This record gives sequence, C-alpha cells and structure tokens, in this order.
Amino acid sequence: MASYILKRILAAIGTLLIIMAITFFLMNAIPGNPFLSEKASPQAIELAFKKYGLDKPLIVQFRNYVSNYLHGDLGVSLKMQEGTDVAKILFQQGKFDLSIKLGISALVLAVLIGIPLGCIAAYRRGTWLDGLLRVMTTVGVAIPTFVLATLLLAVLAVQLRWLDPKSGSLTDFRSFIMPVISLSSYYICYVAKLTRTSMLDAINQDYIRTARAKGVKTRVLVLKHALRNSLIPVITYLGPVTAGIITGSFVVESTFQIPGLGKYFVQSVLNRDYPVIMATTVVLSALVIVMNLVVDIAYRLVDPRITLTNREG
Amino acid sequence: MKERFAKISPFQVDPKEIEQAFGLNSGDFEAASETEKESVVEKRKSVSYWRDAWRRFRANTVSMIALFVFILCLLFAFVGPSLVPYGYGDQYRSSQKLSPFELSKDEAKVEALSGHCDAFYATALQPGSLTAIKKGDYFIRFGGKTYAFTASKAIEKSVIVLDVKAEEPLMLVKMSDIQDDGTWKKSTPIEHTDTPAEGAAEIKLISRVFPHVFGTDSAGRDLMARTMYGAQVSIIIGISAAIIVLLIGSVYGAISGLAGGAVDFVMMRIVELIYSIPEVLIVLLLQVVLKDPLQAWFDAHKTGIGGMLGDLGAGIVSIFITFALLYWVTMARIVRGQVLQLRKQEYVTAAVALGATSGRIIKRHLLPNAVGSLVITTCLQIPSAIFLESFLSFLGLGVSAPMASLGSLCSDALETITLFPHRLFYPAIMLTVIVLTLNLIGDGLRDALDPRLKK
Amino acid sequence: MRETDTLIKVEDLRVSFFTPAGEVKAVDGISYALGYNEVMGVVGESGSGKSVEAYSIIGLLQNPGRVIGGSITFEGEDLLAYTPEQMRQFRGNKVSMIFQNPMTCLNPVYTIGDQLMEALTCHDKSISRQDARARAIEMLELVGINNADKRMDQYPHEFSGGMRQRAMIAMALICKPKLLIADEPTTALDVTIQAQILELMKSLQKQENTSIIFITHNLGVVAEICDRVSVMYAGKIVEQGNVNDIFYQPLHPYTRGLLASMPRLDEDAHERLIPIEGTPIDLLNPPKGCNFAPRCKDCRKICLREKPPYADFGDGHISACWLHFMEAMNKGVGAE
Repeated sequence: MASYILKRILAAIGTLLIIMAITFFLMNAIPGNPFLSEKASPQAIELAFKKYGLDKPLIVQFRNYVSNYLHGDLGVSLKMQEGTDVAKILFQQGKFDLSIKLGISALVLAVLIGIPLGCIAAYRRGTWLDGLLRVMTTVGVAIPTFVLATLLLAVLAVQLRWLDPKSGSLTDFRSFIMPVISLSSYYICYVAKLTRTSMLDAINQDYIRTARAKGVKTRVLVLKHALRNSLIPVITYLGPVTAGIITGSFVVESTFQIPGLGKYFVQSVLNRDYPVIMATTVVLSALVIVMNLVVDIAYRLVDPRITLTNREG
Repeated sequence: MKERFAKISPFQVDPKEIEQAFGLNSGDFEAASETEKESVVEKRKSVSYWRDAWRRFRANTVSMIALFVFILCLLFAFVGPSLVPYGYGDQYRSSQKLSPFELSKDEAKVEALSGHCDAFYATALQPGSLTAIKKGDYFIRFGGKTYAFTASKAIEKSVIVLDVKAEEPLMLVKMSDIQDDGTWKKSTPIEHTDTPAEGAAEIKLISRVFPHVFGTDSAGRDLMARTMYGAQVSIIIGISAAIIVLLIGSVYGAISGLAGGAVDFVMMRIVELIYSIPEVLIVLLLQVVLKDPLQAWFDAHKTGIGGMLGDLGAGIVSIFITFALLYWVTMARIVRGQVLQLRKQEYVTAAVALGATSGRIIKRHLLPNAVGSLVITTCLQIPSAIFLESFLSFLGLGVSAPMASLGSLCSDALETITLFPHRLFYPAIMLTVIVLTLNLIGDGLRDALDPRLKK
Repeated sequence: MRETDTLIKVEDLRVSFFTPAGEVKAVDGISYALGYNEVMGVVGESGSGKSVEAYSIIGLLQNPGRVIGGSITFEGEDLLAYTPEQMRQFRGNKVSMIFQNPMTCLNPVYTIGDQLMEALTCHDKSISRQDARARAIEMLELVGINNADKRMDQYPHEFSGGMRQRAMIAMALICKPKLLIADEPTTALDVTIQAQILELMKSLQKQENTSIIFITHNLGVVAEICDRVSVMYAGKIVEQGNVNDIFYQPLHPYTRGLLASMPRLDEDAHERLIPIEGTPIDLLNPPKGCNFAPRCKDCRKICLREKPPYADFGDGHISACWLHFMEAMNKGVGAE
C-alpha cells in the first residue's frame, strides 16, 4: 500500500510537471503581455520585463518556475495585485478556501443524495416513484449549470427575494443554498442515474440469485448485496466529477459573484498574469490528481478483488 | 393430462379406446414425410442486427418521442430560418427590446395597413440603414403580374403599397401619412412597367408584419431568428465535435489495443495524463491563445478551407481544436477496451489462425462488433460538446457577436435577466430540450444496440 | 409410492414467460413426485425448461415468468399459495439450491464466511455469531475445504472454481434442507473437479438424508448420482423412470437420441456418436402435435397432429410417444 501510494505520488509529480510545461507554453502563446496598456511606455514595459525576468529565454523562465515551485515559491502577481505573493492571493485571501468549500459541499451532496435516490429508484423499479425519479434525473443532467444558476437567481433572489443574489464569501448557510444547488444538481442526478443502472445491473447478477435462494430478505438483498457492488462504477465516476465540479464552479462563482478560484483564473488569463495562471493550474491539477488517488484507494476498500498494485489502467 | 396419464396404458387399455379418444385411423401411423415435418415448424425470420436494433428502438416509447422532438428541433434550427423574414444578425432599429409578439410603433402602424391593401413592403422596417433599398431597378411579382420600377430616395421611411383594385395599384406611402386605423392621408403613385430592366432585383411583398415571436434584444435583433440560428450553431458544433472525437478516439484506441505491449503502455499513459489535466483550465487558455492567430489565418486565407472555417469563426474552430486535443480520451478508452475484449474472442483468434490480415480483421470482425458502443458514445458526446460550447460562450469565450449559439444567447440574456427574463427562457429551454432529447436517444440506442441485453 | 413418503409433488405445472413477442410456454404441464432421500435427475438440452421448473419450486421465477397452472406440494403444503415472506423463509431453509457457475454465484465483495453465516442467520435470528461461525466452519470442513477457519475470511476470488462450488454446497446445506436443487452444478467445472464434486454430493446426500433434484444436460452425471430420471424436451417431460430403465431400456426417441449422442467408455469405443439433428423448437410458436416430431427420425402423421399421451410401462416408467400406441395396436390388447 505505502509503496503503491509513493509510486502514485511520483507519477503525480511527473504529471504536474507536464501540466506546468503545457500551461507555460500556452500562456506564453497568448498574444500581448501583462504590462501592455495605453499608458505604458515601451521603456516602462522593458523595465517591468527585466524586473520579473520575462526578458530571459523561455527555457530559463520555465526552469525558474520549476525550481521555485520545488521550493514552495509560487511567485508574485504581475498585474492583478502587482507584487503580491501568489500563494498569499490563493490561500490567504480565501479564494482557494471558497472554491474548496463550494466544491466539497457539492460533492458531498452528490454522494449523499444521489446514491440513495438511485437505490430507491432501483428498489422500486417500475413504480411511479421510479418513473418520477427517472424523469427528474434525466432532466437534471440536461440542464446546464448556468441555466439552473440563473433560474435560481431569477426566482429565489429576484422574484421572491428570499435570498441575496450575491452569495459573496459564503459566510452563512443561506448564502450556500443557491451556489451549491446549482453546482451539485447535475452530479446528484448523474450519480442517481448511475447508481440506479449499476444497481439494476447488480440485481441481475448470479450472486443475487444465490442470496435469494438462501432466503435473504429483499431489503438486505438490495442494501447489502447489490449496493456495495453497484458502488464500484459510482466511485470510478467520482474522480472525473472533481474536475467537473471545478468547471461548474467557474460558472457558479461568476453568477453568484463569489470571489473564488475559478473567477480569478478567468481574470488572470484575460490579464495575462502569468504566475497566477500557472499557480492556479497547478493547484487545481494537484487537487484533481489527489482526488483520483483517493478514488483508487476507495476502490480498494469496496472491491476486494482489486489489489492496488495491479489495477488495470 | 393427468387423466390421460392414468387411463391410457397401452398394455391395459383396448386400442379401440385410444382410437376413439383421439379419433385415430390407421393412416395416422404412416411415416410422415420430411416436407410434412418441415411444414409444422414455423421458422422465425432471421433478423439482421440493425433491423432488430431498430425494432427494439421503436418499441421504446420514450426514445421515439425524444427522436421526434429532436427532429422538430432540427427543423426549427435548419428550416426555421428560411421561414422567418428576420436575419440572426440584422438589427431593426425601431424594434429594440420588444416582448414576445409585441410590435414596435412603426410595425404596428404598418401592420394596420394589412386590412386596406393587398400587400406592402416597408423600408422603415428593414434592418440597418434606413435606405434599405438603394437607388436602382426593382420588380415585384404579385397575382401573376409583374411590376417593375426604379426606386428613388423618396422610398426612405415609406411603405410600398400594392392595392390591385385601386386606380394606381402601386404607390408609395410615407410612414408619417399612415393613420392609426391603417388608412393613409396621401400617397404617391409609383411609375411602373411590366418588364423589369436587366439586373433588376426582386422585392418580396408581405401582407402582414411577421411577429417577433420571442421578442427582440437590446440591439433590435429578432430573438426567434437568433435562437434558430443559435440552435443550428450548437447542433453543428455538437455533431462535428462528436465526429472529431469519434475519429481521433477510435483510431487512437484501436491502434493502442491492437498494437499492445510497449506502444499500448505509452499510449495509455498519455491518455491517463490527459485525464488528470483539469481540461477546463487548458480549454480556457487555448481559447484565448487560439483566437487571434486563427482570426489572422482566416483573414489571410479567404478561400477554400480557410474561408469555410472562417465563416464558422475563430471561437468555434478553437472549440473543435480543443475537442481534437483533449476530449477524445474517453472514446479511446472505450474503443481500446472493446478491441482488447474482442481480441480475446475465439472467432478473432480463428481468423488470425487462418491468416487473415489485420486490416481484414478490423473491417470484418472488430468494427461490426464495436459499432454499437461507438454509436452510443458518439451520440452521448454531442450533448457534452454542446454543453462545453455553451459553457465557454457563457464565460464570453465561445462564438462572437453577431453570431449566436444557445450558450451565448443565454449569456447575453443574463445581463438583462431582471428586466427581460423571457430572453433567457427560449435559448435555455432550447438548449435543455436538445440535450435532453439527445440523452434520451442515446439511452434508447444503448438499450437497442447493446448486445448484452439481446435475448 | 405412498403419499406419506412423498416429499414434493408437482402436478401439471405450467410456467409461461410473457414476452413482448408473445407467451413462451417454458414449462407446459409437467408432473412428478419425489420421495424423501431420493435423487431425481432432470435431463434436457438448454431451453427445455428444466431450470425454469426448478426456479418455480423455490420461488425464484422473475418477471416476465409466471406460474400459470398446476400445483406444487411440499410435505403436504401448497407452495404456490405461500406469501412472499413465507416463501422467503422456506427458501434456503427447507429447500436450497446450487447453481451452474460458481465463479459468478458468490458475491465478490463479501467473504466466504460472511456469506455462509448469512444463510444461517437469515433463518435463525437467535443464533449467536460464534455459533454461526462454528457451524459455517463445520460445514466447510464437511465439504472438504482445508484450513476452514482461515478460508472463512477469504473472498471468493481467492478460491478456485471447485472450491467455490464446494463452498456453495456448504452454504446450501448449512440449514439442513430436506431438498437440494442442483442446477447444472458441475457443468462449469473441469472434468476432474466434476468427479470430485459429484462424489462429494453423493456422500453428503447419504450423510444428510437430503433429496436432490439434479438438473443437467449430461447423462453421464445422471447415471452417477440419480435414482430416477425425468427427460425433458420443450417444456414437457417426455420420459420418466428409474435410472436403469432410462439407460438400458430407453423408450422415447428423444431419450434414445440423447443416449446415442453420448460417448460411452464401457462399450465399443469404435461406435460412432450419433447427434440428434435439427434444433429445438421455437417455444413462441410450438407445433400443434408432438414437440419433438420435427426432429424425430420415426415421425408419424399423427405426431404432427396430436400431442401424445403418456404410456405407462410400470414401475414409474412412463413415456409420451405415439409409437408406443402404434406398437400396442399392432400387437393387440393384453400383449403382455
């Protein structure tokens, strides 16, 4: 187990390096530079380039990024908060916190609501309840996050005035409601659909027939024998979900005016604030990679057939 | 059955009884011929895979309804624009910010004309500059007759009115002369002949003002035309992206699965790498990176492929590039999985043993077997591409005005959500319905094509 | 057989599957009785309804399958009148079942011990964990699994195919059922393992006094273990009798065909195997006459028109074929 995790961490560092390289290449390919503006004189730009080392060859710049990152130094912002430590912007100004809070709430909701809904639908398959849940989940995965977010905004905040349209820094429960619902609804529905399908799949397996032949109660059959097996595909899905939730959070953050990581990333791209782009990409990628590792370990807990060392890619 | 079982024992019962019970006669125990034997076997027609799949798909009511609704969406998106007289990019200056079916003042005035003449053409209602008809030769066809004339500047802010029964059938009425009840104070006859001059342009008269069914936006663009066009763009993006993903993913996956060994290992590590990149970050970067160079390239290559892609716009093309770079991995994995699974099948081993070439094996054995899951995955890829495009448009990175996609329409509508909520409603519903029906069709295809469910 | 000796009695059982394409009569009026401590083989090719018949006894029929007629009486009680809860308590307790594929029949995510003990605890709530565990270990030892204590905590994937089938048998017998239904229990196993499992079942049957309904398409297995044999074709029992009659005096053309298509080690090794030609009938559109007629080498005109009644040859040996009546008529009454 320990050696497996070590191996995965080494692979993760490799992956991160490649992601850094891609990001570095792409952000330098964006036309223009952070200091370009109507007021800036060519001399001033040149000075700024020198100051931040942008005049050096690209390969040297990249090497500097890597070595600084290895020392835990994420550099300083060039434009948006000129001169401020990027690490400080991301972690101390609460941007990372906000996105994580939002993402984790949505993920937890997806699991805690999605899986039981899927179970209920499978357990009561063919009934009106199953039908209702199927309609809800099918529609749920067809509504884009931003449409749902705006609908909530229009109805709950603008028309009914129950909630504040600006969620701000997510300080109290009420401010969580709209962003978390809009972010998680797609995943709740998807997880519910997935659970239902894999549950029905499991129910048709031979071992369920064996358990039935033993005289096991239907409830136990579903909750014990079928559920644990059907969780396997659901867990597989949770890895990509993390990446998806980051996507969703971009939209949700901009709709509800939450000053989180997603919004900041979009701004940093538009402003060509290189160190911020790089740091955000690396932090979010690391998050996805860690999540994938967690999923693989969770896999092991649910399915004894998988030994971590030889899981098929 | 039980009674017969008890009674009839050939060694205890008189055969006469049996004869009577079953109405037997001696001929019954003659040997039956082969043809007689065959005639009692009702052979079930052997059905081809696709016909069988189609039968199962048809039996699935939900999927059939979804297919029907999707076809309606296609008609709306592709046939609709030719039925609506408004263009997606045309700005009607007097018709800004209208609610659904609301007519602007000018339109209401012109509409009132409809009871008082046969047909009309209002330059004031035309998009852009007020002199929609420049000086030159024009002709009108109406009721089997042709009216050719030369327009002058006087046509500005006026309506060409055709009233066959009147003394002067073709006349020009100034907007300011039209009264609320649809009559006009004065008119100027237009001199006309029966034969149009060479190169004259036709003007299509209308007998009613076409309503703005979805209303108009702040720039005076007709929202129904824009929604139709946006749906068209979204569907084209979805299908093209799905095809790109299908091509790249299946080729990559097939190579990886067939080659095996070190090649497979390296190719799959690349797939894993792409999997762990938070795509959206890279997509956002790519969009920004590609936009200007692509635009520059389009400007330099106005003909051929460059021109074609240029019509789509840099935003859409960079979405295609993004899909080509990042989104094929799922497809590649599925295809590789299929290939590996099929490679293990005996019939493939048998074909290899018989000396079939790889190309033949792919064509004859792997493709027909994998086609089901390819179709399903491709079908479900379309909504995800539409989603991605709308997401990018929402963040202001997708298509650029005056072009529209469902995502950009939603995004535009958001700015005025408090004042005009209906503007969000139509594109959002359209987007949801398209994605929903495609998902349902995909589910139906999965049920119909998945051989595991075949009984 | 006296009524009191009868463990289970099936009379004119009919099971149909209602598919969108129409009604499939999977079991079309079969009757038999099985005594205590008796082993009956049910033989037939796939699709002959032999498994469906077994599933209806144990109440495992799933949609769209339904019992549409007949009766099943177990120790004098009408099983078809049981409520689902009564049926659940009956399953695994009085009657248990083992299945064809031991690789997929055990839940991969629970230990063997857990699954064995579950079979006990779902019928006896009061049993303590220690007792259940002890009983499970005892059963594993009984079916010949070494290191049973250690094996209890292993997962199915850590067992070989033969071992899993042994565990399945242990699980089926843990509640000391009166009847064990074995649905092709050796088909998926290697030949050497097959013999071991058969041997095990035979000795356990003697030891535990369990009746067995042994479903198989393999006549060799039948000869090994069964007292009586029912031969099924297309939802009907075509011939029934004790194992010697079936093997040495087969009467029905189908049974004869089956025997001719089976390799025999005890006879002339040069004898050619004769396959039964044709394919089983389409149960969606069964023929009007005898189901086997289209494949029968000795088919008569009547066979295509009327379903044959059973002819009783004494000692429980019955066969449903028109040829028997033809012979009887040719010989005249009382040919004995």
